[in-house]
Formats: sequence, structure tokens, C-alpha cells
Amino acid sequence: MGGERKRRGIFPRFGVSEDVEREIEAHIALHVEELVGAGWDPRAAREEALRRFGDRDRIAAAAAAVTRRHHRAVGRMEMFDTLWQDIRYGVRTLVRSPTFALVAVLTLALGIGANTAIFSVVNGVLLRPLPFEDPDEIVWVTEVNTRGGPMAVAWPNFRDWMANLRSFSGLAAYGVLSTTALGGDEPVQARVGRVSHDYWSIFGVVPVRGRLTTPDDHHEDAAPVVVVSRSFWENELSGAEISGLSLEILGFRAPVVGVAEDPGFPGGGIDMWAPLELGGLSSSRTAHNWRVVGRMASGVSIGQARQEAISLTARLVQDEPGADPDFLATSVFVTPLQEAIVGDSRTPLLLLFGAAGLVLLVACTNLASTLLARGAARSRELAVRMSLGAAKGRILRQLLTEGLVIAGVGGTTGVLMAGGVMRGLRAAQAGTIPRLSEVTIDGWVLAYTAAVALTTAFLFGLLPALRLTRRDAGDALRVGSRGNAREGRAGVWRVLVGAEVAMAFVLLVATGLLVRSSRALLTEDIGAEVGDVSTAAVTLSLVKYASEYDQARWYDELISELEALPDVESAGVMSTLPVAGSLASGRLELDGDLERATTAGYVVASGGAFEALDIPLLRGRLFDERDTPESGHVAIVSQSFAETVWPGEDPIGHEVNGGGMDNFWEDRTFARVVGVVGDVRYRGLDIEARPTVYFAHSQRPFRLQWGASVVAESSLGDAARVVGGLRETIRRLDSDVPLRLETMRSRVIESIAERGFVMVLFGAFSLIALVLASVGIYGVVSYGVARRTREMGIRIALGADGGKVLGMVVGASMRMVFAGLALGLVAAYGLTRLLAGLLYEVSPTDPLTLVIVAVALAGTALLASWVPARAGTRVDPMVTMRAE
Amino acid sequence: MANPLELFKGTLDVLILKTLSRGSLHGYGISRWIRETTEEELNIEEGALYPALRRLETKGLVEAEWGVTDTSREAKFYSLTGEGRTELEAGLNHWHRYVRAMSRVLGSPAG
Repeated sequence: MGGERKRRGIFPRFGVSEDVEREIEAHIALHVEELVGAGWDPRAAREEALRRFGDRDRIAAAAAAVTRRHHRAVGRMEMFDTLWQDIRYGVRTLVRSPTFALVAVLTLALGIGANTAIFSVVNGVLLRPLPFEDPDEIVWVTEVNTRGGPMAVAWPNFRDWMANLRSFSGLAAYGVLSTTALGGDEPVQARVGRVSHDYWSIFGVVPVRGRLTTPDDHHEDAAPVVVVSRSFWENELSGAEISGLSLEILGFRAPVVGVAEDPGFPGGGIDMWAPLELGGLSSSRTAHNWRVVGRMASGVSIGQARQEAISLTARLVQDEPGADPDFLATSVFVTPLQEAIVGDSRTPLLLLFGAAGLVLLVACTNLASTLLARGAARSRELAVRMSLGAAKGRILRQLLTEGLVIAGVGGTTGVLMAGGVMRGLRAAQAGTIPRLSEVTIDGWVLAYTAAVALTTAFLFGLLPALRLTRRDAGDALRVGSRGNAREGRAGVWRVLVGAEVAMAFVLLVATGLLVRSSRALLTEDIGAEVGDVSTAAVTLSLVKYASEYDQARWYDELISELEALPDVESAGVMSTLPVAGSLASGRLELDGDLERATTAGYVVASGGAFEALDIPLLRGRLFDERDTPESGHVAIVSQSFAETVWPGEDPIGHEVNGGGMDNFWEDRTFARVVGVVGDVRYRGLDIEARPTVYFAHSQRPFRLQWGASVVAESSLGDAARVVGGLRETIRRLDSDVPLRLETMRSRVIESIAERGFVMVLFGAFSLIALVLASVGIYGVVSYGVARRTREMGIRIALGADGGKVLGMVVGASMRMVFAGLALGLVAAYGLTRLLAGLLYEVSPTDPLTLVIVAVALAGTALLASWVPARAGTRVDPMVTMRAE
Repeated sequence: MANPLELFKGTLDVLILKTLSRGSLHGYGISRWIRETTEEELNIEEGALYPALRRLETKGLVEAEWGVTDTSREAKFYSLTGEGRTELEAGLNHWHRYVRAMSRVLGSPAG
């Protein structure tokens, strides 16, 4: 009733104010007319009418405001009303086709979940500022070596920087080492941060209990003190009152003076801090032992700070005539701390981010094609609605709302999945990627996910929606019960599936290359056989074993007990393990000649270590019981050392003295070369072996004091079997030694954990892409078959071979797959070179990988086409034709 | 003539509805009708009618349409809707109960 008239009243043809003004003017005019009729003078009549009317402006405004408020309320209501209608309609349509809904939501959840997980890592590691006050002011300062690379800082340089540089409001040197700490509830391997005094102020650390170190604690002759971290205090000291507590570390017994929260720098968890001056400092400008962080003074740029540091350092090293110029700083780097921490992880993370993006694109493409298929089925419904007068815009909006409903449910599921994945990643990969423990799904991540979900909803919703609404209604109605199924749409569809195949191809190739790199790395000959070896990291108490020779004797006893075990083939001790990641190196003097010196790595080892690790002896002999502290010092050199230093000569009998490692360097006690062994990769699986000199642990045990590795080879070829024997024997000889046991194999795998992290994620992403692409192909083919059942029925009825029809369908599908593969090949050539830094002995365009992936993908696609095609062509032609 | 009476709060709406119950009228017509019927006893600022009319319109109690007067002038005509009629009855009912209750205490008007 009267709806139309009412509407016109509420929404007048002209503006509200104008309407009010006209009405008031009419009122006054009518009044004047009446008064004039009664004999008034027109001017007086108008004045009277205006007077009686009252405050015209105020009334006009009040009247207009009433209507405007109403319009706004009605507008809002109508908007929410339609939106709600669309959402309900969308949900109803989805519920009516649960399979479609499930596939769509899962597809999207996979895509969005992958993206959310990776973005939360990117956000936590690369984007979020470090959790310190004014993190932009904190920088990392290193010396630069003769090769232009960063190098740790020598103590005298740091001391002079501290005294002279004005660009920094604070500078702190620090080093971290794992060592035995005694005095807690149990002996433990503790991570000790040896820090200079400014460390506390740079990272804003305040004591939780007691105090931090004071400047007075930071002298070489100060009484030792230690500050423990809150977690160490709670877990290892039972949160006891700290007065009266003391710990034995690094050969000192130091009172616990305070408890502090670990600021998270340097990462990996610090158990306690001690003044780095403890234990004496090298006064040589070539002993690069310390890492340095600084806080910029306000208003100073990094460039200025660097200039100041460079010119000071240049003066400092000039005053160092005796030093080897190869080991003096040539320059100084000043880098923002965040950049320094994240460093090498940036590229792999961004690559993973890109890969996750591709997965999402595949998911969107898949949904778009599924929606197109559904759209074809629904075109009749839509045509009917349009012919009944539904506005095109409204239908478009409604299709998009359906997309939003899918995106909303899919996105929520995706975030939940990402949360689970993140928990797993944090547990499995702690320590692989810096700052990974800080990664959470926070507001930024959720905002990102929401943006991604909205964008994808438009991406996969808009194209089908536009296609569906572009046609005029009559067209679809005329075609009849099958809906409109023109070839054009199948064309778009093929392009979409082809694109999916291309993207899946790129991801699979990337995974293939990474897998091949990892295989190449893991089968790399590192110069030692580690498959049957277990190892224990041991640091003996410097209080209990005052002399390093006491320590050497302890290792001898341990080794002989181990070798007496039936499971142990051979055992030894060494200062550095193969693929440990680092190798001490220094200047080595040759044959007593001061002019003939070289730079090489050095390792302290027992003879059994070579046997346990099967490091091949090429000439001469290994260390044995003949080599005592009293006998003449001996050395073993690696093959490449011998070839570089004494080319064409027999190295046996030559003499070396090694690089600043102990007192024998200053004493100029030369060691006679007694053997040559094969080269071993110490610095990493992927880093070429460095020329190396080995000294006998019985003669030069000094290095072992800071931590040694005991190795034991299983006589049965099973490394795990000797772990128990190692543990019990070490416990029996000294129950105060904290134990960290593992097989060498797991150490090797751990050494490439970051590659593993990237590889596993790429693998997961490409698997998702492969599944989605297969689902896409399956969908296209089964829809195509369903659409053409009648045609095929006729063909078969007319005598066409069923197999031929099947071949025709599969062939059509494979044409689009091959087009996708060709596109993917081109894309792979362009994109895989981004991976180059992560590859090892595999070219980014490795033909074998490309062929294997292409064949595997084509095979999967063939299966995905064949299954629905066969199901479609097997139907009895008579049945399908009667069904029409 | 005594000073005009002030209008009780909320009674303007009922007055307008009552006025329109005889048929559709423009704003000036409504104000003139009230003036004449009350013999100018009520002090109503004529303009106050308009916000009230619009309020009634948004509530769906009256509806408005531009039209032309007998003297060929353009004016907006208001008429009661079904809901308006119901509302008028409720308002009248309420008013009569009010007057009866007041009268019982204060006594009927003299004369």
C-alpha cells in the first residue's frame, strides 16, 4: 500500500534544504494572500506573516535535520540489509553444494595458510624492529680483513675505540662460549656471555635481583663476578637467594652478584654473563677475538661513525710494527644490527615468501576455474533472476559476496593452520633462522592475512562474476536446460589450468634443485667417514684439572677405556670436528725460518681421532704413545698443506710452529712433521678444505681447555650403539662433566639445517601446488566430459572407437598441460637463478631436474585427465542419449 | 484578551494528527485551522509546525505530496496514513484519560 508514494516523500526529487525552503515560502505566501484578501497592505501583510512564522532559519534547519537523519538511518539499514541477504544467500548456496564448498575452502586455506605462516616469519624476522629501545641506534662494528670481509675485533683496537670514538654513546665487546658451569644443581654446559661494561646499557638490561657488573668489575685484576640469566637462575639454581651462591666457570669461582633478563642478544639464549676481562686479554692487534656492538650517539649517521672509526683504526695499526700485516684491520664496517643479525636469512625467506605467493596464485586460479564451472551450471539460475529484473550490479555484488564468504572461511581455517605450522617450525628449527623464536601471529600478520583473503576473493570471484553477468539473459535461457556452454569459456578455463601447471612446474623445479643440492652436499666427500661415529662435547673443569697436561692425561684414560669397550672400534679427542663450521687458523712458521711463514688452519688431536674418523693417512705415521710432553714435538699436515708449502718435496721431517695457539708459539718450539693425511672439510659441507696442521694433544693440549670433542667409532658400523658407552665411561671418569652426545651424522645434517628448512618448505609448497593443479585439471576434464556426454554418445553410437574418444578428450587436456609446461619452462629459466645462492653443485637450469619434473608433472596431469575422461566415456551411449 | 496558553509538551503532534483527520491539508492550512479552532487561545509559533510534520512523516504517521491550492499556489499537502490514524486514536484516548483524571482532582471547568 502506498509504498511508491511514501518513497517519493522520503526521497524528494530535489534536495532536502530546497524542499524545506519551498515549503516555508509557500506557507508565507498563503498567509500573505489571506491577509491581503482581508484588506491588509501587502508589505505589512508580509511582515505580519514572517513575524507569526517565527525564526525562519532555525526552523528550516531543524526541519531539514529531521529528514536528513532519517535518510541516513534508512540508507544504512538498506545497505546492511542487502549485505546480510547476500551473505545468507552465499552461505545457503555453499551449503547446498558441500563438496564444492569443502574443496574451495580447503584450497584457499592451504594458500592462505602457507602465506600467513611465511609472512609471520618474514614479519618476525625481517620487518619487526629488534626488541630493544631505539633499535635503529644499535650497530654492529667489525674490522675488515685483507680480503675485504668482516673480521672479529682485536682487544687493543676495541679499547682504543672506546677511549676515542665520539660517534658512539656506547660500545661493547662480547664473546659467547659454551663451557662447563659447576655449582648449580647439576654440572651443566652453560652459554657464557663474556661482555664489556657497556653491554648492559646498550641493550637496556636492568637487574631482576642483585646488581649487574660495575666498571670496577671490568679490570683484568678484578675479583671475578657472574650475573646469571633469569631462566638459568630459575632452572639451575632453583631460584634460590643469590647471596652466598657462586659458580665455577672458565677456571674461576665467581660469586653470583645478580640476576638479569636475557635481552635476546646475542641470540640463542645466554645463561650467564661475566666481565670479558676475566682471564686476561691479548694485547695483540692481530688477535681477533671479540664481536662488537655499539649504540650511535644521537644525530650521528652510520657513515660518519664509520669514517671516524676507519681513520682512528688506520692510525692504530700503523703503530704496530711487529704485527703480521695480513692480520691487521684494513678498514671498519658499521652495520645496523638488524641487518647484521638477519644477514643471510633474508634471501631464503624472501624466496619462500615468493613461493608461498605462487601457491596462493595457484589456489586462486583453481578457485576461479571452479567458480567458472559452477557459473556455467548456474548461468540459467542467474539468467532467470536477471530476466526477472534483478540488477546486474546486484548479481555481481552477490557473486563477489559468495567469494568473500569462501575467503572468510578459508582464511580463518588458513590462519589456524598457520598457527599450527608455526608452532611446529619454532620447535623444529630453533636456532636455524635468527629470531625465529620471536615469531608469532600478531596483529600485523592478521591484517596481512585479511588483506590477502580480500584480494584473493576479488581475484577468483571477479572474473567468473564478470563473465556470468556480461551475457544477456535471453541467451542463456534460449540454450535450454544445459545452461550456456560455449567454447569461449572453456578457452579461458584452459588458460587458467595451463597457468596453474606453469606455476606448479616452477615450484617443483625449485624443490628439485634444492633436493639435488642437499643430496650433493650430504654425499659430499668431506675427507672423513662419519657414518659410524658418535661424539661427545666435553669441557673439563679448569679448577679440578689445573694443568692442561692433567686434562690431556684424563683424555688418554678416557680413550683407552673407550677402546676397551666391545662396541668401540677406535676413539680419540680433537679440538674441532669435521663440518663443525669453523676452524681455528693462524700464522704458521716453517722450518725455523722467520721469513717463510704461511696461514693455515690448525687442530689439536690424538692419533685415535684420525682412525675413528677414517681420515686417510697418506704418508708417515699418526700420533701415538711415543709422543709425550717430553719428547720432541710432532705434527701431521694435510695433503693440501704439504702440496702448497713444500711442493714436490717429502714433507716428512720438515718443521712447523703454529699460530698463536699456545705458549709454544712464543717459545718458538717447532714441531717435526711425521705424517700426511687427507684433507678434511671443517668449515662446512659446502666449503673446500683448508690447508691444515695437526698438533698432538699430548704435547700441546692448551686448546682442549676451551672445549674438546671426543669421537668414538662403532665396530658394528652403527654410531648409535656407542652413544651409551660414551656416556657411561665419561660419567664414570668425571661425574661433573656435562654431556652433549650425538652422532656425527646428525651433526652433518644439522650443519645444513637452514637449507633443510628452505627445502622442506619449498617441498610442501610445490606439493600443494601439484595437488591443486591436478584438481584443476580433473575439474576441467570432468566438466568437459559431462558437457559433451551427448556428443560422445552419438560418436560412439555411430561406431567411433571408445578408445579414440577417450584419447581425444585426454589429448585436448594434455595440450593445455603442455602449453603450461612450456610456459613454466620459460618462467623457471627466469626465476630459478634467484635460488643460485642456495644451490650446491647444481645449475639453476639443471636439465636433469627440468626433465624429471616435466615428466612427473605431465604424468600426474595425464592421470588427472584420464580418470574423469574414462569415467565419462564409459557410460552407455543409449543411456546418455535417452537422458536428453 | 487573556495571555495565550502555552502548549503542553507532546500535544502538538496530536493536534496535527487531529487536524489532518478531516482530510489532507498544507502546512499553512494546518496552522490556520488550529488558530481558528482554538480561537487563538494557544500560543503556537507557526514555524514549529514544520519540524513536527517532518518527524511525523519519518515515523510514517503522515505522508506528504506537493500539490496545488485552490488559488493555484504550489504547496506541500499532508495526509494521515493508516498508522497515523491509529496513533491519533491512541493519542486522543490518552488525552481524554488525562483530562478526566485532572478534572476529578481540580474540578470541571466552570460554566
